[in-house]
Formats: sequence, C-alpha cells, structure tokens
Amino acid sequence: MTATAERRPATTIFRRPRSTTGFWAWITTADHKKIGIMYGYASFVFFLVGGLEALLLRIQLSSADNTFLTAAEYNAAFTMHGTTMVFLFVMPISAAFINYLLPLMIGARDVAFPRMNALSWWIFLFAGIFLYSVLIFSDPAAPAGVEGVSGNLDPADNTVLGGMPDGGWFGYQPNAGPFYSPGTAMDYWALGVQFLGLASLISSVNFIVTIFNMRALGMRLLRMPVFVWMSLVVALLLLFSLPIIAIALFMVTFDRQFGSLFFVAEAGGDPILWQHLFWLFGHPEVYILILPAMGIVSEVLPVFSKKPLFGYAAVVFAGAAIAFLGFGVWAHHMFASGISPVAQAAFGLSTMTIAVPTGVKIFNWMGTMWGGRLKFTTPMLFAIGFVAMFVIGGLSGVTHAVVPSDWQQTDTYYIVAHFHYVLFGGSVFGIFAGLYYWFPKMTGRLLNERLGKLNFWTMFTGFNLTFAPMHWLGLQGMVRRTAYYPPEAGFDFWNLVATVGSFIIAAGVLIFMFNWWRSKKHGDPSGIDPWDARTVEWTTPNPTPEYNFGVAPTVTSLDDFWYKKYEEDSEGRPVRRPEAEETLTDMMETGTNPPHPIHLPAPSYYPILLAAGIPLVGWGIIYHTSLVGKLLILIGVLVVASASFGWSMEPLEEPHDEHDHSESSGDGYSLPEVDA
Amino acid sequence: MATHPGEHHHPTPLQYVKIAILLAVLTIIEVALFYVNEAADMGGWDAPLLIILALFKFVIVVGWYMHLRFEDSTLSKFFTAGFILALILYAIVLLAFGVIALGS
Amino acid sequence: MEAAAAMDHHDQHESTGIDHRKLGMWVFLSSEFLFFGALITNYLLYQGQPGFARPYPAEIYDIPFTSFSSFALLMSSLTMVLAHNALARHDQHATRTWLLATAMLGSVFLGGQVFEFTEFVTVGGMKLTTNPAASAFYLLTGFHGFHVLLGVLMLLTLYGISRRQGELSEASGLNLELVGLYWHFVDIIWIVIFTVVYLLAGVPAGVG
Repeated sequence: MTATAERRPATTIFRRPRSTTGFWAWITTADHKKIGIMYGYASFVFFLVGGLEALLLRIQLSSADNTFLTAAEYNAAFTMHGTTMVFLFVMPISAAFINYLLPLMIGARDVAFPRMNALSWWIFLFAGIFLYSVLIFSDPAAPAGVEGVSGNLDPADNTVLGGMPDGGWFGYQPNAGPFYSPGTAMDYWALGVQFLGLASLISSVNFIVTIFNMRALGMRLLRMPVFVWMSLVVALLLLFSLPIIAIALFMVTFDRQFGSLFFVAEAGGDPILWQHLFWLFGHPEVYILILPAMGIVSEVLPVFSKKPLFGYAAVVFAGAAIAFLGFGVWAHHMFASGISPVAQAAFGLSTMTIAVPTGVKIFNWMGTMWGGRLKFTTPMLFAIGFVAMFVIGGLSGVTHAVVPSDWQQTDTYYIVAHFHYVLFGGSVFGIFAGLYYWFPKMTGRLLNERLGKLNFWTMFTGFNLTFAPMHWLGLQGMVRRTAYYPPEAGFDFWNLVATVGSFIIAAGVLIFMFNWWRSKKHGDPSGIDPWDARTVEWTTPNPTPEYNFGVAPTVTSLDDFWYKKYEEDSEGRPVRRPEAEETLTDMMETGTNPPHPIHLPAPSYYPILLAAGIPLVGWGIIYHTSLVGKLLILIGVLVVASASFGWSMEPLEEPHDEHDHSESSGDGYSLPEVDA
Repeated sequence: MATHPGEHHHPTPLQYVKIAILLAVLTIIEVALFYVNEAADMGGWDAPLLIILALFKFVIVVGWYMHLRFEDSTLSKFFTAGFILALILYAIVLLAFGVIALGS
Repeated sequence: MEAAAAMDHHDQHESTGIDHRKLGMWVFLSSEFLFFGALITNYLLYQGQPGFARPYPAEIYDIPFTSFSSFALLMSSLTMVLAHNALARHDQHATRTWLLATAMLGSVFLGGQVFEFTEFVTVGGMKLTTNPAASAFYLLTGFHGFHVLLGVLMLLTLYGISRRQGELSEASGLNLELVGLYWHFVDIIWIVIFTVVYLLAGVPAGVG
C-alpha cells in the first residue's frame, strides 16, 4: 500500500465492483443507458400508482354526493396524484429519455459525470420510496417541536389513504402548515419533494456539462438534434428554479418541525411569500414537463414526414425564448391572491407573450408535415396527437392571461381541463411517441404496430372523453379540489362521461404494457435503422452496445445520418444514395466490433450508498424529537459522509498506465480493469 | 493533460496580498460608514454607498481570486446569468410586497 | 505519448476546452445565487414588517463582533488563493500551510457564528420561534454557515490527503481549485449578507 501510495487511492471502503451482468451490475452501474432504463421503469411504476389515484378521484366524482371516498381521502388522493405525476412520473421519465439518448445523440460514450448520474437516479428512487413510505409510517401526532398543535383534527380521517399528504401538490400555506395540516403527512411531502429536487439539480449540472463539453467532432451547437436542445433548456430551467423551491420547502419543514414562523399568519408570517416562491419554481416547472416532449415530437415528426424539421433554428430559439420568458410569468397563478393591479397587468401581458414562441413551434411542426410523405406509424400518431391536443391546451391557457377571465376560471375544472390538455395530451402523448420510437434502441426489437395503434386510439378517445367535458363543467362553476357536488348542480352527466373516459385511458395503458411485455421478447427485429432516421443515435446497432459507438462519430451537418443515406436530385427531392446500404452495413460492423479498445467509466458502490443516507436523514428529521429520530439523522449523515469520502478517493476509471493494451480481449472491447 | 492552474497571466502572490489589503480597506470603510450613519443620519445615502462598496468587493473576489476574468467566457456567462436572474426575480418579488418601491 | 494514447482511448474531448468538473462547479455556483437570493429575500421581506414580537434581529446585532468574523472569512480567501498559487509552483509545504490557514480562518468564522447565535438566544432573547424576521435571519445565516462548514471539511480532507500522500497530485490540484472556487463563492455571498443583512439592517418605524 505504502509503496504505491502516490498512485493508489489512500483509503478505500469497498473494492471496486466487478460484476458486469446481473443484479450487482445494475446496482453499481454508471452506464447512462442502464440508468436511463431504470429511470424509465421506476417512473412507469409511479405512473401506474398516480393513475390509480386518478381513478379513485374519478370514481368519487362519477355521481353527486358520492361517498366512495371521505373528504380526507379525496384530498390525499388528488395531492398524491399531482405530486406523483409531476415529480415521480413526467420528470423522471424525461430524465430517462435524456439519460439514454443525450449521449447517443451528441455522439458521446457517456455523460460528463457518470457516477453523479447514478447518484441522481438513486436519490430519485429513494426519495420516491420515502414519499410513499408515508403509507406505512403516517403518524397522526402533531409535527414535532411545534407547540399548540394537538393531533389530527379528526381521528376518523386517519385511514391508510387519508393519512397521505393532503395539502395539494402546490402545498399552499398556511393550509399545509403545522396548524391546518397536523400529522406527519405534509412533512413527508416537503422532504420528499426536497430530495427529488436535489436529484434533478445534480442531473441538470450533469446534462449541461455533457452538452457543452462532450459533443462529437463537428457537432456544433446548431447541429444538435432538437431533443438535445430541449434537454439543455430543461436543464437550465431546473438549475435556476430548483434552488428557489428548495428554500421554500426548507421553510415549510422548519415551520412544521422547528417552530419557525415563515408562513404562520397569526405571528406575522406571509403565506403569499410561499405562493411567490412556489410559482417562481412552479411555472418554469411546467416547461420542464413539456419541453422534453416537444423535443421528442420534433425528432419524430421529421422522420415520418421524410422532411427536415421546418425552421430548425426557429424551433431552437423558440425553446430558448420559452425558457427565458418562463421565468417571468409566475404570478399568473396568483391573480386571485390579491396582488396589485400593476402586477396583474404586467403578468397578464407576459403570459400572452409566452404564447408566441409556443405558437411558433406549432407552426413549425405543421410546416414539417405539410407536403411530406407522411407515414402514420404509432410514434407518428402520438406525435400528431400531441400537436393537436397541445393546441387546445395552449389556447385555453391563453385565456388565463386575461385577468378578469382568469378570476372566473380560477379553481374551477376549466383549469383542470387546461393543464391536462398540456400535460396529458401534451407531455404524456409526447412521451408515448418517444417510447414507441426509441424502443428498438433499447431492445433491438419493434413494438407491435397493430397493438400500438389500438393503444393510441384508446388513449386518445379516453383522454378526450375525460378532459373535454371538464371545460364545460368548469365554466358552469364546478370547483376543483372538492370531493362532493350537489345533485341539483347538474354536473352528473359530464362527470360520469369523464369517469368512463378515465377507465378507457386505463385500458389504453394496459394495452401498452401488454405490447411492451410481448414485444420485448417477440417483437420484430429492428435492424440498425428501422425508421429511416436522421440523427446520430441510429448509426450504432440496436440494442445499443455498452460503449455506444464503435468509433466516435464525426458530424458534418444537421441531420448528418440522413445525408449519409440521401442526396438531393436536381429538383431538391431526396434520393437514396446508391451506397446507403453499404454505409449501414459498415456502421453495423464498426458498432459490433470496435477497432480500438474502449475505456468506460467503472461501476461504483458509492452512488447508491450516498443516496441511501438521504432518506435516513429525512425520517430522522420528521421524528427528531425521539431518540430513534436522532439516531437516524446521525446514521444518515455518517453514511453520506463516508460515501462521499470513499467516492472522492475512487478514480473514475482505473489509471491508464496500469492498463496493459496487449491484454485487451480479442474483440477489441475491454471493460475497465478491476483494482487488484 | 490538464493545464496547470495559475500558469497564464494569473496574479503573483504579492498581487494577491495587495488585493487583500484593498479588500480590508474597503471593509473598514464599510464599517466606518455604518457608524457615521449611526452618529449622524446620512439621509439615505448610506445604502447606495454600502451596496457599491459590497459590489466592488464582490467583483474583486470573483475576478481575481476566482480567476473569472482570466477564464473562458462560458464560465462568466453562466455566473452572470445566475446573478442577474436572481437579482431581477427577487427584486420583482420585493416590489410586489412593497418592500422596495419604484420612484418616490 | 500519454496524451495521444489517452485521446485514442477516449476519443472524447472537451468541446469548450474547460475541464468537466470545473465547468460543472461554475454551473452549480450560478444556481446558488438563486438559493441564497431566496433566503435574503425572506429576510428583507420580514425585517421591516411592524408588529412582530420583539426583538428584531437588527435590534441586537453586535456589529464590531460580526465585522471581525467577516474579516476572518474575507482574509481566508487570500490564504485560499495562496494555497492554490503554491500548488501551481509545486511548493507542497506552502500549499499545506495555506490550506490549514484557510480552514482555521473558516473555523474562526464558524466559531464566531456559534457564539453570535448563542448570545442572541440567551442574552438577546431572540429564538428561531420569536418572529418571522428572526426565523429568516437564522435560516439565512445558518445555511451560509452550513456552506462554510462543508468548505472547511473539504479543505481539511485535502490537507489530510496531502499529509498522507506527501503531496497533492495533479488530479488533486484540480480538486483544490474546485474547493477554492466554492470557498470564494461562500465568501462573496457573505460580502453581500454582511452589507445587506447587517450594515443596512433596519427596524420598522416604532420599534426600538
């Protein structure tokens, strides 16, 4: 040890993990593709959980004065439905796409910080588990450390379901504070969302550095696929908005656990401050939810229209403009909170402005399809569905920019209709387009088209049946976040329709799951380029080899892969180059048998270990008045500290000079060597 | 491979010490201003002066000690973006609460 | 040969010419502005609101004492940059000395903060739960102090590695630069806090 001290890590807690397959390979991996896949599956599980919660809500609302759920259970169900869909489904499944595709699309072997990437994923998973651990550990006792709060208001509310967080995904204060939300549920919410934010913040730094620093030769910024651009914009939005919600959530935790008075109105605290801080984050957040889907659609539409994206630069700059303006519209969520008329006018105006770049994108997508040779595959159907539904959601959104109109609509089902048209009709359809489109990259097989089309039409029908009637219900005055409506209000019929629609959506999701399960084993082999694609990620075999590319690609133009296959005839029409097939065969060959040995980031135990300490601290804070709580904090901090220390002593790769080239295996590909 | 830190046009230790002396002097002026204002009200002029002094110290530490003025412009773009964005967003929040006011 | 072999292995490069970790640190620091900005905004909102239970933070500040601990933190930026400079000159001994000096000055600041908080609670009678302005004060300075604490731990880790291995290698040199960036950032945040929260602090009319 001492003889080689200069070169070797001074201290190691663990030996380097050795497994390259099986359980431990997944636990210790630093491979962006494996991490992306884990993100995908985990977030889909949360999608099912959030979907079940939605079905509970819809059953409750299917008839007037229904008693299926108690009011407390209803509150908990809509809170966790929103929190789950936003933080545990759309954000992480976007992270799944970005993880898997970003390095492939810019021609890199991995992200800039592979172990940090693993850390983000494990923190996300543990934070999700932490949030739902409230189901087991929910405690009706008052938040620890706050005097004057005695137990849950009504013990009858403390059912399994009713014991979940019930202050809304927006956590408005003082309703979600210690006095009006006693019990530990909202503590789980505040800390769980805090940890999820931490995971996203780490990812955002990682993705930004990756995009800035790891592009293939020739991949200038304006040659990057639109999906990469949108990932960059999302990462910037996360980077600058997450610290704000972090502080706001800390304030909630301190109010609830340590008796600070930030939002306690009786002591002079200002609940409006929460709304400002929440929506300062919350509005960029909605662009964080939609922009990855916009990126996916911008990849899918050109491929199945056989045309380049119409106005590539306009789409990119519109994305950047949305990010910039997205920080200046937050107070339109607060028009009914008594902000000054000047502020209302200013934010109304900025909200109308942000519709412009969004509209630009819509026209770009239509221009892409216009005159193209359209192929209505399942990803294309979802992408078109996205554009159409997003237009409806966008238009109803602009109506909120008109302040008097917004006063009429605030807290009615019109708002619920609006944001489900952009988040479900938008984000979720975009995500499904991406799942169908890139499934071959992951598996080397295609999802079944017949089931796929059935999947699309079921979801499309169910979606519109569920959410279109909510526009009308809202304008008739049906308020949101309320478990009951009286029979004489006349809301029964459209609510029943919406409930039926929600079950049709559920059927669509089941079809999708069946398709996935079946096609993973029995789907048609995809070959290297199943869709006649345009971007670099399709120049390497499917499923993607662990090293991504046999030889790091070089790029000479936007849609580089397309121009390797096609040239233009005298009238500007694309004609397949005679050597196209040969090009593909060569790509298959170099992708399967790399000519040079390749170093990859080595797996590591430390990311999962570090992440495991964080929920321990979380539980400890919630129960910090007891000995167990104090011990948990101590253990959690020790775990995080020792993992950080071990991590900082562990090199990313094994040192080159210990690597004997002659020993690399015959196929030219060697995994990083294990520390002897 | 990695460039050695501090090799191109970075200040010498002596210059670092001189910068520190400047920072110290600025801090003394700040505290002195505080007491002058306590003794005899400066009619609101203490605030802009103190903020300018703080910004001056801020820029000196960022520019020289953090080497930002010797670095690639990508870094300063990010740094400035974060700083300006924070300044604007929180100024609007404080405006909305009437903590700071335009005019009058 | 080293460089060529490495290129061949990785066929990766930094498109911007900036090391990943350095770029990552600057990107992270740019987001910290929003973090501390929110904390300072809380404080500014609450410090001037009349009608709270007293005392307000500004009523019990000890400006000479805080000036002293602020000065210690400011000078730790000098020792930090001298450590960095010494490493660039391959003067391992001086590097260690300056690292330790920086950690010491940081600890002086932290000790000062512990003393300040204790005084405020016991003598001044201002607790986290006294009023929203006090809550905001403790959250802001507490989070800053937490950042300083992390910095001191990182500095001591570097010092420990250097002692144990006899030197800081080239890879650790970048670590030292990154810790330095973080350290200076914590310092500039304190420059702002010292002016805005301490020197410019006001109490609402009718108080004090």
